[in-house]
Amino acid sequence: MVYWNDEFHQVHSPILRYGLAVVLVAISVGIALVLQAHQFRNTELPVLLLVIGVVTWYAGNGPAVLAVLLSSIAFNYLFVEPLYTLYVSLRELPYFLIFVLAAVLVASFSAVRRRIEDNLRHARDRLQIELEQRQQRETEVRKLNLELTARAAELVAANKELESFAYSVSHDLRAPLRHLVGYSELLQKQASNSLDDKSQRYLQTILEAGKRMGNLIDDLLAFSRIGRTETKATAVDLQQLVADVVSEIGTQTKGQDISWKIGSLPVCYGDRALLKLVLVNLLSNAVKFSGTRCPAKIEIGAVDGNADKSEIFVKDNGVGFDMQYVDKLFGVFQRLHRADEFEGTGIGLATVQRIVHRHGGTVRAEGMLDHGATFYFSLPKAKHPIERTVSAA
Amino acid sequence: MSELGRILVVEDDPRDVELTLTALDEYKLANEVVVARDGKEALDYLYCREQFASRSNESPAVILLDLKLPKVTGLEVLKQIRSDERLKMIPVVVLTSSHEEKDMLRSYQLGVNAYVVKPVDFHEFVNAVKELGMFWAVINQPPPGSAKKVL
Repeated sequence: MVYWNDEFHQVHSPILRYGLAVVLVAISVGIALVLQAHQFRNTELPVLLLVIGVVTWYAGNGPAVLAVLLSSIAFNYLFVEPLYTLYVSLRELPYFLIFVLAAVLVASFSAVRRRIEDNLRHARDRLQIELEQRQQRETEVRKLNLELTARAAELVAANKELESFAYSVSHDLRAPLRHLVGYSELLQKQASNSLDDKSQRYLQTILEAGKRMGNLIDDLLAFSRIGRTETKATAVDLQQLVADVVSEIGTQTKGQDISWKIGSLPVCYGDRALLKLVLVNLLSNAVKFSGTRCPAKIEIGAVDGNADKSEIFVKDNGVGFDMQYVDKLFGVFQRLHRADEFEGTGIGLATVQRIVHRHGGTVRAEGMLDHGATFYFSLPKAKHPIERTVSAA
Repeated sequence: MSELGRILVVEDDPRDVELTLTALDEYKLANEVVVARDGKEALDYLYCREQFASRSNESPAVILLDLKLPKVTGLEVLKQIRSDERLKMIPVVVLTSSHEEKDMLRSYQLGVNAYVVKPVDFHEFVNAVKELGMFWAVINQPPPGSAKKVL
């Protein structure tokens, strides 16, 4: 196949192809004449037909027509009675016509064969191109795959680094802090009699600062752990969960007059422990910031959300906040109140936001200074209502 | 008449050692404490090797083990103790700064007797160490072959 293709491609220019036709017809006529001179009879017909076939095969249709024409004329002039005229006698007419017919037939067979050959070649070329394209695509896919694997490995490495960072924070940062606080206390005990009031107060400040830093580190570690732990999603009955959290918080707020109002809450899909952390943070915030109210009113309910998400709100009548600073509310260690007003490290709402985001939900807040605050969070709904009974069981 | 068990404290930080000894001293438990400054030294003590080659071959009543140690880590020490026929009965208490669930899980998998996170607050730290010392060195009956001192 390759051999034939090479043959085709050798004869490209039209001059060469028509030249080939003329030369080959001339040579064949020459051979026929030589054969006739040596008393071989009737050789001109097959020799000329052979040449027409060859010309059609190698040079294409146009040269084939030329070859048929030239050989018909040569045949008529040299081999058909009367010789050396273009006139055909009636007796020789069938012989001449048969020659022309045979020449045309050979040429057309050759042409058809050539056309089929051409088509096959084109089809093969197309296949070849397609194959190359497919190989190219495959290489691309493989390259992308490799990149993806590398990216995943990088991510794993980064995660590991983060983990070891948190680990060394937990180990190495706490140790000096413990010493700071420990030795300050030892000093306080040892030298309490020889220190004046001012020095005692300085020492007390060192101690409190150390303890506060300990709380900050613990909170930060807990916060980073939320991002690293795997979530186990199940159907969670918020009604039940809120009731649990309220009764837990209630035991810690014995002295405070709180009126709780709990609306009807949906079943959501998420990690029960993390969602509980969200509620604990929001409800204890509500309790903390309405501590000056008597009675404190805290309301928990659900807003009619869209089809696949439920929105829950926690509303209090506490000190509220200025809406101007609403976008700072959910930042890590962001506080809108002075430390001596309300205690806390400022990580609670950041934790809430992180957990809700991990569940694919959103958080927002509304508030007014001295008129309470409302915190909203959305969660994906549980798919089937039957899951409430399952989770309750 | 009560008996006082020997306590092996494995701790690399000299300040933590001092704080631990201060805490134990409040219950007069400090004079039966051996301090190893890294995991290798702890194993040397337990196997009576190198500088401990001449000590009498009794096991401590309890080992207070830090996890983050130079040379041989706490978890490796624990693993070695639990895989040794003679040492595996010794009560081991991990006393560490690490709050990480991973460390806790691994320690319990290796068969630790208790896991205590060192509190940042000094009072809590002193109380934790005192109670650990009291319980393991005085109240608890250590396995046979442990070093004891009649009070």
